[in-house]
Amino acid sequence: MGSRSHPVVAALAAALLLAGCGGNVGQKRQIVFWQFSPLETIQPVLARFEKEHPDLHVQVEQLTWQSGREKIVAAIAAGRPPDLCEIGSTFLPGLVADSTLVDLTDSVPDLVPQLRGWETARYRGRAYALPWMLGTRALYMNVDLMRKAGLDPAHPPTTWSELASAVARVDAIGPGIKGFGMNSGEREVLFKKFMPFAWGNGGDILDSTLTRSVVASPQNLEALRFYLSLKPHALLDRQEMLDEAFLRGRLGFTISGPWLLRKIPQSAPQLAFEPILMPRPGPNRGKPASFAGAEALGIFRGAREKAVALTLARFLVREENTMPLYVATGNAFPAAVAAAQDSYFVGHTKDRVFVEQLTTAVAPPVHPRWVEIEEILNSELEQAIYGTKTAQAALRSADERIAALLSPKP
Amino acid sequence: MRGRPVLGLLPWALFFAAFGLLPLLTALGLSFFAMNPLRPDLTRWIGLANYGHALTSPAFWHALRTTALFVVVSVPLTLGLGYLVAALLGRVRRGEAFFRAAVFFPATLSMVVISLVFKSLYAEQGLLNGWLAMAGLPPFHWLQDPRLALPSIIAMDVWASVGYYAILLLAARKTLPLEQLEAARLEGLSFGQIERRIVFPHVKPVVLFVILLDTIRAFQIFIEVFVLTRGGPLESTLTLVYHLYERAFYHFEMGYACAIAYLLLLLVGAILLVQRRVLREREAVAA
Repeated sequence: MGSRSHPVVAALAAALLLAGCGGNVGQKRQIVFWQFSPLETIQPVLARFEKEHPDLHVQVEQLTWQSGREKIVAAIAAGRPPDLCEIGSTFLPGLVADSTLVDLTDSVPDLVPQLRGWETARYRGRAYALPWMLGTRALYMNVDLMRKAGLDPAHPPTTWSELASAVARVDAIGPGIKGFGMNSGEREVLFKKFMPFAWGNGGDILDSTLTRSVVASPQNLEALRFYLSLKPHALLDRQEMLDEAFLRGRLGFTISGPWLLRKIPQSAPQLAFEPILMPRPGPNRGKPASFAGAEALGIFRGAREKAVALTLARFLVREENTMPLYVATGNAFPAAVAAAQDSYFVGHTKDRVFVEQLTTAVAPPVHPRWVEIEEILNSELEQAIYGTKTAQAALRSADERIAALLSPKP
Repeated sequence: MRGRPVLGLLPWALFFAAFGLLPLLTALGLSFFAMNPLRPDLTRWIGLANYGHALTSPAFWHALRTTALFVVVSVPLTLGLGYLVAALLGRVRRGEAFFRAAVFFPATLSMVVISLVFKSLYAEQGLLNGWLAMAGLPPFHWLQDPRLALPSIIAMDVWASVGYYAILLLAARKTLPLEQLEAARLEGLSFGQIERRIVFPHVKPVVLFVILLDTIRAFQIFIEVFVLTRGGPLESTLTLVYHLYERAFYHFEMGYACAIAYLLLLLVGAILLVQRRVLREREAVAA
């Protein structure tokens, strides 16, 4: 019995030995890269990288939006993070606060003018990741419902009052049709839908020094009151359900991302729609702001192959390597400045609206306590949306809670 | 030869030690530390502070109340319906195998899949509101209304679990000697009397087992909340395990999350002990 088990033990030992040799595949150095795009989309880009760098091999893994965060946290805790990782801008501040990421500022000065979205990756003037893909939201308009409401879709609403009027008229069309899609029931996205109105009105979350809450400002209050004025004509639901309702032609207007541009032709080819810029407070007032998010490329302090990971990151952010990802997934736009001039956008006018929207989109502050700030904002906004607090009470409460969070403990 | 049974158990014991006991003990240890998984190097001993923090946290008590409500409503409903379905299945003469398979089917599905199906079912334009519309009734915001979100999750959970427990109870019923039932019928006992005096006492150990099993499962509710509501709206579905998940992976308070997990373990353990004692005392009184 004992002698029979020897080959098994030997095989196990060999397997363990092989598993331990993670850093090299043959003579090649291995870079472990975790990201969220489908493998069939990213593989051709990585194949080009490997062709350019024959001594390097990229071991790519696709994370899911549902559990990617947990996987990254677990890997860091276990001391085995990937060498290069795609990180969402709302997750980034926590990582920066805990000094988990390598400071890349001095390694990439040449990339500063070539990329947009640095504000999503910078903290106290230092860059902790490379902006890779940028995301924003625009206002989707159902053209047929506009016509049914007696409105001219060639002149979409550009101001708050025009939007409010259009939303009310579409809502009046009849049962089953709602004027506007308002997010509810998922706390994590509420501020992303309200803050564009506040930012457009000159409001903000923190002051420029990131040390004081300005949530209870008159600009924010005016914006929240306007946002809540849309509620009587709105369908309240989660983002995917609002997207679904828009696809079915039940919503006059909804705020959503570029992913709908890919989904509508597949799921609702008959739907006549246009993405338009977010409305501004008045004809000569404010700006058409929106939420700006980013998918950045970060290198963890515990990564084994930091230098080559940076080589890969520099390769990935190049325009010619980001456009294929956008064309394939449609989720977010290349951070590469040159991508805005890409010929793709000449023939795809709907996509161009998002490129334009990005120029006035605002990113939430990169603050070490952002997770808590976001949670406070979302919970207070939720109470305002559900009517358990007035707009003023919700913003005051958010302001007090954020102020308490930011003030140093005695 | 004597050593063989122990050797046979070894793979299981190793598996349990690696993936059961070790994480359990590690979590217990972590519950006494302030531990940020992003900065394990800064981990420090804080004794019982995590437990104190949990017991004085309004969010913890809110999550506990929501979980308790879920348990108190879902367990009796699941047990009652499971018992009823088992009784009905026991009386089926034709196609019993088909009905058994149909009833058991939800138990073969992953809770994620079930939750995704119910998410579309509960949607504004979903099947449920479609039926209501056909009956001339207005739609309900099943998962958006803070008063309806938890009951909607309970309804889904009961649907998903009833079949499994019904099959367990049916198996227990099948062990009842037919002669005993025949004799009861000849004695002129009604259906209700037979259920109360003969069947129920016979399946009682399985009923007790179902109560314990379902209570443990119900306290652990997570996937349903994660997929359907993420604790909202207005924290009406914020359960204890979802709360600890948020603390661990959004706030990076791994030690605190482990303390919540152990408080839950203690609570469930205490409830199970009380349940067993009460049910056994009743059994003794009845005997």
